[in-house]
Parts: sequence; C-alpha cells; structure tokens
Amino acid sequence: MKRLSILTAAALIAAQGTATAAVPEDVIQNSFFPYANDVPTHPNFTPGMRVTADNVDQLEDVLDPFTYRYIKQGWYEFDTTETFPLPLHPNYVQATRDYGDVVTLDDNGVIQNFRAGRPFPQEPDINDPTAGTKLMWNFQRSINAGDSETIHPFWWTFRNANTGKTERQIRFEWHFLNWKHRTIFPPENIEPNPGEIFRSIYGTVLEPFDLANTQLLIQRYEDDLKRDDGWLYLGFQRRVRRLASGQITDAFLGTDAMIEDFEGYNGRISDYNWKYVGSKNILMPYMKHNEQPILDDEPAGDKDGFRFVKFGGQGNCFPLVTWQLRKVHMIEGTPKDPNHPLSQRLIYQDAETSTLGIVVLYDKKGDPWKYFPICKTTTADHLPGNKGMGVALDDCAVFFDEQAMHCTTLQFKALINAEENPPNIFNVQQMRKKGR
Amino acid sequence: MRNTDNNSWRKLAALLFGLVVVLLAAPAHAVWYSKDGTIEVRGFLDSATFARDRVGMTKQRFQAQLEFSKDFRPTGFFSEFSLVGTLRASYDAVYDLNDDEFGSKAGGPRSFPAPGNPALFSALTMGMPPFPNPSTNPSYGGAFGPSPPFDGAIPLPGTGWAPPPSPSNIALGSNNPNDGLRFALEDVYGYEDGGVVLATPVRPCDVDSRGCIKGYLDRDTDELRFREFNDDWDWLRELYVDMAIPTFKGRHQLGFRIGRQQVVWGRTDLFRVLDVVNPIDFSRQNLYAEFEDSRIPQGMVNAEYRFGATNLFEDINIQFLWKFEEFRPHDFGQGGEPYSILGAGNLFRALNNCYSNGCTVWNFPGTGVAVDFPSGVIGIRQANVPSTRDEIGARLEGVFKGVGFSLNMLYYYSQFPSLRGGIPATNPFVPPGTPGAFRPEGYPYLIAFDIEFPQLLMIGGSADWYWDKALSSFRVETSYTMDEEFADTLSPRLFSESDVFRWVFGFDRPTFIPFLNKNRAFLISGQIFGQHILDHRTSKFNTSIEDPSIMLPSIANQELGFQDHEYNILLTLLIQGNYLNDRLTPQILTAYDTQARAGVIGPSIEFKPNNNWLFRLGFNIKWTDGSPPTADDNRTANIFPPATCGPATGSPICPLPTGGPAWSSLGLAGLEPLGRFKAGPIGMARNEDEFQLTIRYQF
Repeated sequence: MKRLSILTAAALIAAQGTATAAVPEDVIQNSFFPYANDVPTHPNFTPGMRVTADNVDQLEDVLDPFTYRYIKQGWYEFDTTETFPLPLHPNYVQATRDYGDVVTLDDNGVIQNFRAGRPFPQEPDINDPTAGTKLMWNFQRSINAGDSETIHPFWWTFRNANTGKTERQIRFEWHFLNWKHRTIFPPENIEPNPGEIFRSIYGTVLEPFDLANTQLLIQRYEDDLKRDDGWLYLGFQRRVRRLASGQITDAFLGTDAMIEDFEGYNGRISDYNWKYVGSKNILMPYMKHNEQPILDDEPAGDKDGFRFVKFGGQGNCFPLVTWQLRKVHMIEGTPKDPNHPLSQRLIYQDAETSTLGIVVLYDKKGDPWKYFPICKTTTADHLPGNKGMGVALDDCAVFFDEQAMHCTTLQFKALINAEENPPNIFNVQQMRKKGR
Repeated sequence: MRNTDNNSWRKLAALLFGLVVVLLAAPAHAVWYSKDGTIEVRGFLDSATFARDRVGMTKQRFQAQLEFSKDFRPTGFFSEFSLVGTLRASYDAVYDLNDDEFGSKAGGPRSFPAPGNPALFSALTMGMPPFPNPSTNPSYGGAFGPSPPFDGAIPLPGTGWAPPPSPSNIALGSNNPNDGLRFALEDVYGYEDGGVVLATPVRPCDVDSRGCIKGYLDRDTDELRFREFNDDWDWLRELYVDMAIPTFKGRHQLGFRIGRQQVVWGRTDLFRVLDVVNPIDFSRQNLYAEFEDSRIPQGMVNAEYRFGATNLFEDINIQFLWKFEEFRPHDFGQGGEPYSILGAGNLFRALNNCYSNGCTVWNFPGTGVAVDFPSGVIGIRQANVPSTRDEIGARLEGVFKGVGFSLNMLYYYSQFPSLRGGIPATNPFVPPGTPGAFRPEGYPYLIAFDIEFPQLLMIGGSADWYWDKALSSFRVETSYTMDEEFADTLSPRLFSESDVFRWVFGFDRPTFIPFLNKNRAFLISGQIFGQHILDHRTSKFNTSIEDPSIMLPSIANQELGFQDHEYNILLTLLIQGNYLNDRLTPQILTAYDTQARAGVIGPSIEFKPNNNWLFRLGFNIKWTDGSPPTADDNRTANIFPPATCGPATGSPICPLPTGGPAWSSLGLAGLEPLGRFKAGPIGMARNEDEFQLTIRYQF
C-alpha cells in the first residue's frame, strides 16, 4: 500500500506553487491535539463509570439532549472510558499547517484558496456568523473516510424499536473516494477529472435477494453550488436510473436514513444555513474497537474473523460501546429548501477530528425526530490494515426514529485503502458492468 | 369462473398452504457464501396464481430460481475473472388444473350463424339453384348439403366437393375435425363488425398438432407446463464469464462478458426502444412481466473498452456485441396459451391450420357467409426462423457535463414476425387438378404467407439528466430502424418495408404527499412514447399489379394500405409509495394507448415481512373506448378472377363484369386479422382483467 510520506506531501504541495502562509503551531496543536496536555473533565463524571438512568441527571451537562432522554427513560446505558486521542494522519495535519491560513469563504459560503488539510483550523468564534459554515467545511474536507475507504460488509438492520424484532437486514459493500485534496494516498488530485468531482460514493446491495444488485453512485463536485449527481442501478430492472435530488432527502431503501444523512451529513454545504452555537465537552461514542468488552457474534462467518459492534437497549437499537468525554462544536443546520423534510439538523462535531459524532434531526414541525450517533474507533485498534491510517474510523451507527419507534442499526467493517477503490469503479458504467 | 373443477382449486389451495407452512417452519436462510467469500449462491421459490374473469385460472406457476457466482483470483492479464449463472425451472399447473381452458380439453366444436348465400352458391355451381333449406348454422368442417342431415359451410370447388345431385360430405378431411377449436378472437369481441372469422385449434401440440408451426410455436403439453425445459435449454437462463484486463496502467479496462446473458440498452421503463438486444417471452405475462424475467437471454460476446474519465468526458466507454447463439424471435405465445400478445398466437395457428388442412372461414367473402377453403390456398405455410449467428451491435456510452448519454447501433433480425405473401398457392375456385390452378409463385394479394424475420439496422441514442428547478430527472431515448415490415393491403405480397422512428421521453419525480405519508416520498414516474412509421402509405383507391390503370374506390371510405397507425402515442404513469420502511409497497401503474383508445391500470401491493418472504397482490384491469378498431381485411381483393370480383357476397359489386385483372382489396374491414395491430397489446387484452397473487420465499 502506498502512502504519502510527510516529505512527499510537502514536496507535492511545494511543487504546486500555491501561495501559502503557515498556520501558527499553537493553532495546529489546539486543533489537532486538544488532549495532548489534558483531557476534558466534569465534576460528576468519572471515566469508567456506567451511565444509567440512575445517574444520568447528574451527567445531563455532558450529554446531548437525545442521549440524555433515552438514558433517562431507561432505553440505554453505557460504559465509559478515559478520553484518548484519535490522531489524524500526519500528512493531513501537515497540509493544514501549510495551507490552512489562506482559506477563505466567498459570499456564497464556498471555500476559496483551499488546497488540502483542514480548511479552518482556528478555534471557532461565536461572534463569527460564518463559523458554523467553516466548521462544516472542516467536516466536508476532513478525512472522515480517509482519502479512500471500503466498508465491506456493511450491515444495515431494520428493527422495531418497541419489540426489538429484526425486520430486514441489508448487506452492503461501500466504497468512498476523494478525487481531490488527498493527503494519505497519492496523487493529491486524481486526473483526468473533467467533471471536477470532489468525492464519490459507490455502494452495492449484496442481500437480501429482492434488493441484491441495487447500486448507488453519488458524485459530489468541487463546486459546492453544483448539485450532486446520483444514479441508482436497480437489479430487477438491470438499468441505471438517474436520481432526482429529492431522493437524497428521502428514506434510502426503506432504512431510517436519507442519503443526506450518510456520515452525519452528506449534502452540499450550501444546502443549509449553518450556525455555530458553542463548544462544550460531552460524551461521545468514540472508542477502541479491539478493546470493546462486548462484540457481536452476528453476523457471523466473516472471512477475517472480524466481529461487529453489538447493539442492545431499547429495541436493540443502541450500540453497546464505550463512550468518552470529548470536546465538541455544536452546529445548528437549517435547510434552505422550504420543502426539506427537516426543520433542523443539530450536529455535535468532534473538535479533534472534525467528524460528526452525534447528529439529531427535528421534523418540519420542530419536534424531535431522529437520533444518529456514529461510533468512531482509532485505526490502531481495528483491522491490521487500518493501522497508521490516522482516521477516526466509522465502526457503528444507528438511525433511530423516535416518532415511528423504529431504527436502522449499522455495523461497519471499514478499511482505509486505495487498492479496492480505483477511480474507474466510480462511474455509471461500473454499475452496468457489475449489475446482474 | 367457467368450467373449472372446484376440486382442483381445493388441491391447489392445500398445496400452497402446505408449502407456506413448511417454509415458515423452516429456519430462515440468507445468501450462502463460501468460507473464502468467493462463491455466492442465492435464489427463490415462488408461486404465482393469476385468475381471469370468465376464464378462471390463467397461471399457477411454481418457480425456482438459483443464482450463483464464483470469483476467481486475478491471474495473468486478468484483474477480474468470475463465473456467473442463473438457473430457472417452473411448472405451470394451469394446463392441468384448468385444462378445459388451456390444456388437453380446451376448446370445442364451433359453428357459424351463417344463413347461407344463395348467390354465391349459384356462382360456384354454375347457376344451379341453391338447396331449398341450407344449413343456417354451419359447423366447422361440416358436410355441405340440404339440412338436415348436412351442416357444413359452402365448400369452395378446390375442396373436391361435388355439386348436387350427389354432394360429397367431405369438406376439410378427417384430420381437421370440429373439436378443440376456438374462434381466434372470441375472447376479445363478438364479431359485431361482421369481419372475417377464423377458428383456431387451442390444445397443446401433442394433443392436437393442427396449426402448430414447426420450430416457432409448437409446444407440447410438457413444454407448456415446464417452460424452461425445451430444446433451447432455457433452464440455463444465464451462464457467462466476466473478465477484465487493465490497460494503460490500470486507467483503462478491457472487459469481456461471454456466455448466455441479458444485455440491456436504454434508460426507459416498459418500452423497448433501444432495449432490443434480447427478445422477449411475451407468453410469460403479456407486457406485464418484469423484463428481467421475460427477456430471453442469449449467448453473446459482450466486449467493452472502458476509458473511464478522460479530459473531455466524466466517463466514456464503447461496447461491441456479437450474438453467437442462434437467432430467437419474441415468444408471442402459441394459440391456446393464456398469454398471447395481440392474439397473434391464435391467428398464426388458425392460419397455419388453414394452409395445412384447409379451414372454414366465416363472413367470407362477405358478411353472413361461411365457406370451406381447401388446404394450400390461404394461411401460413411455415416460419422461416433464420439459423443465423450474425447479429452484431455497438454502443458508445458516457457522461458529459453531468448528462448521461449513449449512441447505439444494432444489426439484427426482427424479433417480430413479418407475414410475407407470395408463397405457392392453388386457386380454390376450380376443381382440384385444374391445369394452372397451382402457382409456385403464388397469387398476388392472396393471404398466404410465410413468416419471416427480416434483417434490420437500428441506430439510436439516449440521454438522462437532472433538472433542479423541476426536482426531477429526465430521460430520453430514440431509435431509427430501417426496413421494418408491415402489413400493406395495397402490396401484391401484402407487406411493405418502412423505416420507423421511435422515441420516449420520461421523468422521475419523488414527491411528498403528506396526507398519505409524511415521511416518505412517492415516486411519480411518467413516460410518453411515440412511434412514427415513416413510409406509411394509405389510399382510398386500390391497385392492380396486372393493370396499373385500375384505381377502384374503396368501400365506405376505408383506408387501404398500411393498417397499423402511422403515428401513435402511448402514455404511462407510475405512482409508487412505501410504508413500514419499504416493506409495504403499494403502487399504481397505468398505461394508455391514444390511437387504440385503450388503457390498463395495475394496482398492486407488495409486503415483505422479512428478508425471506414476499407477498404481492395485484390487479390488471383494462378498458377501451368503444368497439375494437377495424382494418381492411383483404376479403375484397380480386385474387381469382372471375370467381372473386369483390365483394362476391351474393350481390357482388363487381366494377368490371368480366372479373378483370387481379386487384387489391376494396376495403371491407373487421378486427380480424389486422385490426389487432390497431388495437395494440392493451386493446387486444381488453377482456383479460386479472387478479394476481405471488408468494415468494427468497434466500
């Protein structure tokens, strides 16, 4: 596996000749290494404690309101650990160091002068009306899935949250590829790329039979004002259908998720108005996969012996993983489209990694609707192939629809790699080729 | 339900119940993978029960399908190498459970309310007075003479019938009895238009071989019951190897898919504008089966060179096809099958029986007359299915500035049959053996055909794009096909070639309908399909190949010539909703043929309680506006002058008293046979409203 060394990255960047001004080191340290010297604390929280309905009131300050309510209702409880870092790849940090000081937003909220790394490493300013937008750019240009990730298998399980009964289970294979601004795998920008695609997502359903061979391809463009393109291959038709954007905000294949929900937020930055509402320390499901006390025996039969995160609690909808206290930035997103099914997307963004650890959704009436925690693991404590990748790796998630009392749980087997994600699988013809 | 044994239904219900109980009790099975993950096996078992008003059960199919794949490790030049297969087997019990409609007891005797035609009789018997009391309701193939005891139609002299005083009672021969018959269109209408009526044998070909066209539509009972077990090995539905060879350091890829497969072109649903590589088995469920199930896979070499993204295109690739398996036409369903699109199977079987064995034809040569034709005069002689392996195609497909596009070309044989006249025939108006009565080159304007499948060249293209302001994705597909063949009553061989332009424009729009479902959008998908027969010709005057100066006016202003619509527009609309996390899916699919003024609506609901079970309940309801369309049926062609000087109905309007030269039809019209093309697949199924239940266990 080829990886860019820091020197290689630096050489590549230097060769591009972009005018740069180095980001001050204290900014870098604060942005990427917030736990280098101390870790968050709270007077009522002791790492290692189990958070239950009995003690949740004393921890309300360090919980998002959805998690708090669910624990309070006795639907969920979890163990905790000390806070530990999920360090990002040094090339990404270096790129930020070199280029993060020149990035700006234009009048449309679109980043300018961006080369690579975290666009806005500076601490968000509550008085900056664009702070929320900048934080979302930090997410979109993060290495949430590295430059290149495969999730295979990826189990999505439909559960009745009242009874815990499993209704359906979909087995996916997903591929993610950043075409531009890459720092882990060469090249920095994949060429040719006449469409100026920033990122591609390609997924295939492997089972059940009636959905098998369904494939999804999403192309996000470098120009954030350009609408994503999406295609769906339907196995029963053996035909590729162009997706209408409305399908991005509709339930995906009957799950409790919209395509827009993928990874916490999978739309254009310009689709929402983003407001930064402050930073605080809250509990997040960030952990070490290989050190989890409980892992699931199902789905069984993984060829590498990999065991998935287990779910329990109300309706078997909640991940049985350890949580830790982490610094987050809170961002309120309001859709610009008046016909959007949401009134608000409230995001708890992990400060260290810029990933979206907890996302909660409010329906058009403003009522709480869906809860979307995403478990992240260190790459050092996962599959051997992920070691050294420097990514806060997706490990489990749940889309919990509290109005319908239904959930879709997600179990990941993620691998950061370039070999399984060549650019030529991220096109429409690949869907036809693979279609059966 | 008509003529259906209640015990059969009880047996079926018990069988189904037992099957469901056994499968429910069995542990749930998922897709099976080998330990190393390289072998994958999945499949399903299902039962499809369809019933039709007044007919009863039309399908009771038990089906099993197994799909498997094996991925091999990359080796040598190949970056990918896999073997993929699909096996399918089914048993349709309708031929046993409803055998008096579709099996060995189907059909019966048929008679024709024809009060006789004294003038025609006199014409045929050189002026002899007709019988004082001819049969007023003659039977198919009956013996002609005074009634009783005779009950036959008027036999043409070529049958060997002898005039009074010693009439023969032989009309069609003992191998063509009045049994196992149905009027070819009796399910569709009551012949109120006075059009020509043919009777067709409807029993499986091992029970009744009449009208079975060798090598085309000739299934025996077991081939109908066990559809896939035939000489074409249709149980081996797909079997191919997939290979990929990286080139240009892996930036390009040369791919091959070799073996029996489906190749799907185009972007539209329901219409096959570009999706014409594989023929279709319409006998599965007329128009209404998923194409994935009704396409007839064929052995092909499918080579693709994938450039991927280039400096100009987001994606570009080129495909070449060569079919190495012998040509196969569409399967229209043979006469007597429950699903026979356009009723063509019945027509072909009736006509083949006419040519092979002779037949009784009602309302010929005019309304209210029934006559017996000898063999070798009218009908279909044979189907000449090309034994060819020279169908080739190419496609350029890509994405340019977000717009998906394709350019397609296919050089192939028409999967639709063409009826070409000009085959050997005998004049039936003279006694057998009359010198010159038999013409190897046939008679102009005579409805005596061979079925042919002409070579065609199709070029076309497609595109799809998203338009943000409409919140919809759009697709367009066009094709231009050269030299398709159409029935043409002005042509001496009764067909002409024409280029055809077809197009489809469609959209998909996910739309929230809050009062029906506030959390899940409905898919609204509409399409408009157009067909333009570019060399379409009609005339109000007929023609004569023997005397071009003849231009006789048609009767009742009837258009002569092409009997299909020059322009036609069809509309489709799909509204699909989802509830219970897409486990409950109601939908309404409707289509309307604007020229035929015929529509169909198919409401259905599908429920998937878990990964293994699927239940689908649906209806298929058609409507038409008014009577079926009529078309020039060629009865008034003057083929055998002076005996035919049309219309020779007893008071013949014969513009030239001597009979004149042969000329084409003067336009007496009915639904049979060519009106079916105007009525279209929807209009011709106007009486085939159905209830449909499918239960599937998948793994």
